[in-house]
Amino acid sequence: MVENRAAAVSLGRGFWTVTAVLAVLSVIGIYFCYAEPIDLIMPAVGAQPGEQVDTLLRFMMASGTALFIYVAGYLIYFSIVFRAKATDGPDAVGIQIHDHNVLEFWWTLIPTLFVVLLSILSVKIWYQIQVAQPANGLVVESLGHQWYFTFRYPQVNGEVTGEMHLPINQPVVLNTTSSDVIHSFWVPAFRLKADMIPGLINTIRFTPTVIGRYPIICTEFCGTDHGMMNAQVPGENGKANPGAEYVVVDSPADFQKWYHAVQLKNANASNALPSTSGTISLAGGDAAAGQALFQQKCSACHAIGPFSQRIVGPGLKGVLDDPTHPKLVDGDAATPADVATILQKGFTGDLGHMPDATQNGLSDKDIANLVAYLASLK
Amino acid sequence: MSATAVHAGGIADHIHAEPQGFVRRYIFSIDHKIIGIQYLITGFVFLILAGMLAEVIRTQLLHANGGFVSPDVYNEVYSMHGSSMVWLVIIPLITGGFGNVIMPLQIGARDVAFPWLNMLSFWIFPVAGLMLFSSFLIGAPVAGWTEYPPMSLQAGPGTSMWAAAIFLVGVSSTLTGINFVVTMFQMRAPGMTFTRMPLFCWAQLATAPLLMIATTALAAALAALFMERQFGVPFYDPTKGGSPVMWQHMFWFYSHPAVYIMVLPAFGMISEILPVFARKPIFGYKMIAFSSMSIALLGFMVWAHHMFTSGLAPFLQLPFMILTFTIAIPTGVKIFSWTATLWGGKIHFTTSMLFAVGFVGLFALGGITGIFLAAVPFDFHVHGTYFVIAHFHYVLVGGSLMGVFAGTYFWFPKMTGRLMNETLGKWHFWIFMLGFNGTFLPQHWLGMLGMPCPSTIRSLHSGTTSRRSRRM
Repeated sequence: MVENRAAAVSLGRGFWTVTAVLAVLSVIGIYFCYAEPIDLIMPAVGAQPGEQVDTLLRFMMASGTALFIYVAGYLIYFSIVFRAKATDGPDAVGIQIHDHNVLEFWWTLIPTLFVVLLSILSVKIWYQIQVAQPANGLVVESLGHQWYFTFRYPQVNGEVTGEMHLPINQPVVLNTTSSDVIHSFWVPAFRLKADMIPGLINTIRFTPTVIGRYPIICTEFCGTDHGMMNAQVPGENGKANPGAEYVVVDSPADFQKWYHAVQLKNANASNALPSTSGTISLAGGDAAAGQALFQQKCSACHAIGPFSQRIVGPGLKGVLDDPTHPKLVDGDAATPADVATILQKGFTGDLGHMPDATQNGLSDKDIANLVAYLASLK
Repeated sequence: MSATAVHAGGIADHIHAEPQGFVRRYIFSIDHKIIGIQYLITGFVFLILAGMLAEVIRTQLLHANGGFVSPDVYNEVYSMHGSSMVWLVIIPLITGGFGNVIMPLQIGARDVAFPWLNMLSFWIFPVAGLMLFSSFLIGAPVAGWTEYPPMSLQAGPGTSMWAAAIFLVGVSSTLTGINFVVTMFQMRAPGMTFTRMPLFCWAQLATAPLLMIATTALAAALAALFMERQFGVPFYDPTKGGSPVMWQHMFWFYSHPAVYIMVLPAFGMISEILPVFARKPIFGYKMIAFSSMSIALLGFMVWAHHMFTSGLAPFLQLPFMILTFTIAIPTGVKIFSWTATLWGGKIHFTTSMLFAVGFVGLFALGGITGIFLAAVPFDFHVHGTYFVIAHFHYVLVGGSLMGVFAGTYFWFPKMTGRLMNETLGKWHFWIFMLGFNGTFLPQHWLGMLGMPCPSTIRSLHSGTTSRRSRRM
């Protein structure tokens, strides 16, 4: 339905020249998007699959730059060439054209093809990040608190603060959750982020590839001092702020040194390294000692409340005599021995994942004390 | 009621007696033009208040360590800036304001379908606005305009006030949506078929169902938040069996369509203004109308792209990513059609036209960064950073607010019988362009380099290993 077809023949002064100039500018823009080092605009990559994210960014920047150069270029060119002149009469009108089917067909088809291309590239890179990462790596946990992060390692008692050390070139499975409100764990150099949501475990997988010290930043508003959960922020009087925490990628030897030092530092006399096999004698469990231990080691994930009151794991009040409590292990009502087995061997199933006694740093005596404490909750 | 019955003397023709007193005429008016102007005045008052809150944010970040206001006050300020800009400024100005003044006139209706309902929707809005701002007196909300629990469960009593106020604004929006849909389906003048309807009306027709349907999800989420905060009914608190992620789903099921509520009517205004000052018809009328409807429909299917880092099942990320990419197609068609409208024109650069052309450029940039954010792998990097802030300010300020300014300069003579001052208008445009781009363009790089948002302090002067930041 092209009206006034005769008037539409001439595209206007210099149209093809401008189109050629915009093409040259676009090519220059695309060249810069691919040739310039990415660390002009992003922190240097410290882990796989960070480089794939940069590949996608370069593709999007290049195509976005070309598109914007054309839109802005034509806007400016048309604004200059087709502005009303002093010689035009007050009733002068422009070319009375309503549409152009061929043109509209192409400017619908080309963006559609671009979307298909971008989808293919994005899905491929998504696959690298979400699916193709090694499933079994070093399992590390990070908990968000108001307003700092803590980290947990296998066979290390309690929580580590300040720095999360990781060995280079070793795949990492990082499970994150929160002890209070929603936080978010972001290492810009790794291009990865996981919201830390109370009640949920969010997992990211990556492989550190460059030795270095990388700031961790919280990107979900979490209260007054949210801004302090950012290693780039200095504290008072030039001292490190309490929430300034880093991922430190070490050589394997340095990592082992740090890891043993932390194991020793976090170990205490009552927590000699436990056994993970054999039956535990539950006789002589001390409920008071168990309560203290529960506060220290269990309460981040378990509340003393009804089963449905979950933090990460279920609430544990009356675990041994509450008829509504699901059958824990073998389909029968839970017995002290069942609870001891879970404490000893950990649990992985529909309720989530609980580390075993080795990872939690529980001795046989500790388990007996905890069972006595849990049995005392009626 | 058949269509002919409408035209022959149905609801289209009930004529109100001209109101006599000042109060019935200008305050509790049921005239759509007066109500629209009331929306515009109220909206612009809230725009000034929300703009002053933005000045507090910028002043705080003028110094690397903040220090203009305390972190708690800062958190209140940025939360109220976002909430009031979305719910008290853009949505009322662009739907209740311009929709009411212009849409019935353009389709040849005497008034909207339900004038009394229209008056009610307007009067809910300033009351809700005052409630929202009065929450400053009792500890305003701190968790941003998104108010994610459990943070919003812990905050002071102002957050309950916030929930109640936004609920009321939602009621007002829903009523306006119903009113507009019925008006446009039932009260078009004889001969005003859908394919002849002005593009501003097409944009309102795409927006009204969003107002009606999406807002109900927000209302439910807000009611649940209010009940949890005031009466301890556990919906969102994970320690009581609730799910904080449920809020995110309900909130974004509203708030993504809300982005289109804010920007589709601006598309409509631009489609009216460009042809007038280019002295030629809009290019591709049918495609622009169709793309508004397809954007509205797709807008309902992409909400979880705000939640890629919230532990969504990985495979669920793919449909949301690809559907979001798809929105680029109708949006691109609009931008190309507007650009082509300028071709071959006799363009008069009035203030309104400057804002309209500026809109096309800035919105194009906001749309392009929207594609960046839709890509899951890149979103993992920039989610929750200043990159997102830059993107949506390009869409909502460079887009919606520029549209509001263009529309105001364009339709002010229609409303008042007087032209606005062109010299001041051009100063307005150039200062606005300079200030806006100067503020928000660098935020793209800040976000990619590692500055999270909100941030009470500027956080990029140490620690990053980028060459650019070392030079800073």
